[in-house]
Parts: sequence; C-alpha cells; structure tokens
Amino acid sequence: MKQIALSRPSLPELESKSRWLALLMLAIGLHVFEASLPSLGPWFKPGLANLVTLLALVLMGQRAAVTLAIGRVIVGSFFIGTLFTPTFIISMAGGLTAALVMIAAWRWIPGISLIGVSLLGALVHMLAQFVTVEFLFIQQAALYYALPPLLVISCISGWINGALAEYIAGRLGHE
Amino acid sequence: MFEALKGTWTDRLLLLVSLAAIMAGWIMIQAYVSSGPAMAEIYHADTLVATYPLPQKGEPPIHLQVEGELGLSEIVIDEQGARIASSPCATQRCVLSGPHRHAGDMVACVPNRILITLRGHAESGFDAIVE
Repeated sequence: MKQIALSRPSLPELESKSRWLALLMLAIGLHVFEASLPSLGPWFKPGLANLVTLLALVLMGQRAAVTLAIGRVIVGSFFIGTLFTPTFIISMAGGLTAALVMIAAWRWIPGISLIGVSLLGALVHMLAQFVTVEFLFIQQAALYYALPPLLVISCISGWINGALAEYIAGRLGHE
Repeated sequence: MFEALKGTWTDRLLLLVSLAAIMAGWIMIQAYVSSGPAMAEIYHADTLVATYPLPQKGEPPIHLQVEGELGLSEIVIDEQGARIASSPCATQRCVLSGPHRHAGDMVACVPNRILITLRGHAESGFDAIVE
C-alpha cells in the first residue's frame, strides 16, 4: 500500500500562523468596534484596525500585513452586515491601499518610524475612500470639498496610532 | 509619555509637508465654494438634480424627494441647513448626520448615491448660519 507522506508544520511555522490569527482576530474586533462608534464625519474612523495592519507589517512582514488587511475587512463586514455593499468596497479600498503604502514607506523611506508610516497610511486610507466613492458611486468632484478637514483629523489619528504601534511593537520585542 | 509622540525628523517633515498641502488645498476649496449666494446642490451619481437657495429666516422650508439607487431619499432644506430626512439605505448614517449649513459641507448617502453640497455665502442676517 502506498503511503502518503504528510509533513507536519514546524513549531515556528505554527507559532507564526497563530500570531497572525491572533492579530486578525484583534483587527476584526476593532473593525466591528469602530463601526459601532458614533459617526465623527463621513467615512471617518479612528483607524485602530489599521494599527493592527501596521503591527503585522513590523512583526511579520508585508505579506502578513496585506492578507490581514483583506481578511479583517471581509470577516469584519460579515459581522456588521455590510459584506459586498458600498461600505465594504470603500473599506476594502481604503484598507488595502493604506497597507500597500505603509509597506512602501517602511521599506523605502529612510529614517521613518512607525509614526510616519502610520501617518501616511491614515492619509492614504482617507484619500482612497474618497477616490473610490467618486469613481464608483457619486461621480462629483464636489465630494472633495469635505476632504481637507478629514485629512487633518487623519494626521492626528495616524500620528497617535503610530506612537501606539511603536509602544506595542517595543513591548512585543521588535527591535 | 510625550517622548513617545515625538517621532523622527523624517516623520516630522512628512507631517509638515502633509499639513502644508492640506492647508493649501483647504484654502483653495474654501475660496471656490464660498463665492456667490448660499446654495444647496443636490446630486445623484453623476447628475446635478437640483440647486436651491438656502431659505432665509422666516421663509418656508423646501421639501423634495430624489430618486436614488435604492429608492427615494427625502431632503429638507430650511434655515438650519440641508439634511436628508429619510433614506432607504440600511445604515441611516446620512439621516443621523443631521443638517449641514457651512459652505463646503456635504451630506452623502453612498448606497443611494445621493450627495448634497453647500456653497456660497449668505445675504445679511444669515451669515451666522452659512459661512
């Protein structure tokens, strides 16, 4: 009888997967929590779920960050009942674009810390949401009238989230 | 505690450049939307559906219904500003956001593809409401 050789995952591999899953659960929880907060403006959120994407990037690498950004939007939208709605599409565009820009900033901007990476992520997250709405749903440049004050708030939230990410990454042993 | 919020020189430079760009954009947008009389513009997707002057104090409110992607959105424009009074969308965030009254403000219902923007400055006696 032919035997199928099953390779068992190594302990570091299992540890890495469980760490990613723990971050995903945290990101989903924060995604749902943010959705239940009172609206601070059109599409504005404090960006706590994005903070987890940043942590995944620093602790586990760019692939983990991108898959986490996609996973938390899909599963989080499932929980709050917005799966495949315009809200889902806007969240996905914002989360994914922010993840990609944070990866690029972390890799290629010399001297940047997690604060600067988070700042860029927050700004791009907001911009990507407006561009998505204008491109897919309401084709009016008038949408952008409301953008500048929201970008200022994004600067503040991105900076604070970056400082939080620095602190958490430091506590988790990232050099 | 404040030490943790300082960031590197690169971070601070990025913040400075970002804020400068945002402020420049904000000033340009405000200069554009603040000209002319106070008006509410109502859009559905890529179409300008209607433009109304904001009512002065004592003038009757304007009620209108706009057909969107999901159904009818009821819009009220009165001396407090413009708002979506009812909407067929699930989240009702557009309704909950209440009246908006400053030039550059907007009320958007993305699922129903309805947008209300406010622009212009008011005649005398209305400056406190629409800037």
